[in-house]
Amino acid sequence: MASRSLVVFRRELKSYFLSPIAYVFGVLFLTVLLFLSAQSTLVHNAQASMQAFFLYLPWIYLVFLPGLTMRLWAEERKLGTIELLLTFPVQPGQVVLGKFLAVMAYLAFVLLLTFGLPLTLSAYGSVDWPPVLGAYLASLLFAGSFVAVGMFWSSLTKDQIVALLASVVSLAVLFLLGYPSLIEFFGANLPPIVADALNGVSPFKYFQSIARGVFDTRDFVYFACFCGFFLYCNVLVLRVRRDSKG
Amino acid sequence: MIEVQDLQKSYGFARALRGISFSVSKGEVVGFLGPNGAGKSTTMKILTGYLAPTGGRGVVNGHDVVAESLQVRECVGYLPESTPLYSEMRVDDYLAFVAEIRGVAAAKRSSKIGRAVELCGLGAVTGKNISELSKGYKQRVGLAQAIVHEPPVLILDEPTSGLDPNQIVEVRGLIERLGEEHTVVLSTHYLQEVEKTCTRVIIVHQGEIVADGTAAQLVSSRPEGALLLTIRGPEPEVLARLRALVSGADVGADADAVAVTERREGSVDYSVAVSSVDGQLPEAVVRQIVNAGWDLLALRREQASLEDVFRELTLTPTAEASRG
Repeated sequence: MASRSLVVFRRELKSYFLSPIAYVFGVLFLTVLLFLSAQSTLVHNAQASMQAFFLYLPWIYLVFLPGLTMRLWAEERKLGTIELLLTFPVQPGQVVLGKFLAVMAYLAFVLLLTFGLPLTLSAYGSVDWPPVLGAYLASLLFAGSFVAVGMFWSSLTKDQIVALLASVVSLAVLFLLGYPSLIEFFGANLPPIVADALNGVSPFKYFQSIARGVFDTRDFVYFACFCGFFLYCNVLVLRVRRDSKG
Repeated sequence: MIEVQDLQKSYGFARALRGISFSVSKGEVVGFLGPNGAGKSTTMKILTGYLAPTGGRGVVNGHDVVAESLQVRECVGYLPESTPLYSEMRVDDYLAFVAEIRGVAAAKRSSKIGRAVELCGLGAVTGKNISELSKGYKQRVGLAQAIVHEPPVLILDEPTSGLDPNQIVEVRGLIERLGEEHTVVLSTHYLQEVEKTCTRVIIVHQGEIVADGTAAQLVSSRPEGALLLTIRGPEPEVLARLRALVSGADVGADADAVAVTERREGSVDYSVAVSSVDGQLPEAVVRQIVNAGWDLLALRREQASLEDVFRELTLTPTAEASRG
């Protein structure tokens, strides 16, 4: 039955490239990301380092990924195609997984396109590859957590703008909870358990840890749980809608 | 093929289905009629597994629509209202996608798609994007995706709405052909469609079934239409003669049943509203009029139509609704 997920996956991925979304998103995302990181790397630091790239990436995710995920369910609901999709002999979980993996495959492709940057840098100086590859992996997992949240919001509404705003706000909160200065602030002002808990839910913390090149199993488990939780919520939304309104 | 018992569905406080029961046997083409919001689409959404009922039971091809939703969906082909399609896809890619997700084995896929394309007359547009097609063709793509896995049951929600008259005739013909191999349940607002394509009619009103039978049965269950006469002769005398005739005959009516409906130049239209016409009555009327030396210009039976039945059943609130 996993193959039915694959059918959804293939159709979704193909549809990105049949519509302008894949191209518009890809071009904008890459332009902004590469411009910012090239500027600070080459102009200001003049170092062959990917540091700036991975510094800007989470922020660019915050701006761009909700735009990519807002349509995943909201559009199907608006056009009515969801009615056919959910009456095919497929479990809701398989559809959710197929859609999620399609976005992830597309994002992996876009990230792959940025490989020109480390390759260019390696021509000018020596690039330390293991941390760079680790940071790429962290970037993909981090994107996964954003996509899972954005897709969940999209399943709750047929209005894409509502999905977009809800995603941006909730992701900004989750993101900032792991931001160093806020961690410091919480650490100083809140009981340690609360501060740790708040910090512990933020995907940003685990992103930084993997991006540093430290491969701790717990970080990967965290991302698996985080994505799993929101994808499961997404399935629940589909179930509840089936029992109530559709 | 389809068994529905006391099916109920509430949307919050609104009761869309107030417990409907019906069954559809193999090979039938059943037309669902009813005003907007009567519960036609809700019933179809439940039978296809898109919505879960709040009460009652639905069985399609031997499988319960709630407990065995996946098995039900496998044996149903569904065309939702307004034909939602992934318009960025090509017709052939779209049909291949549906065939695959519906579990059609890879080896049989191309022949089954070919059959659907041929049945629905899509041969000329398989390479086109769905977004480029006319509404009629989109409708055919919608029908093709519903039949591509050759399901025993087809559920079509307003398959002809929004089409022009020529397209309606084409799609109707197509449904007739599909009815030869599939059990079909369709909903529509067009009464002629039901008379032409359906073997049975179910009229739904405010979440309840108010009529179930063949179109002919529904029409004949209505009180018989009045006898309409156009006569040239002195009005008071004609009226008196007709009243005497009706009172004398055993037709379940009295003298009040005779009325003047229209006065024309040189003739008058009369209507004799009798609930059942004794075969002798028209003959007696004709004989009397001719014997009296008047001219009988026209004699006909008022024809009850499915439209009359529909209006009568769906304009009056049901008992349940007037109570609540």
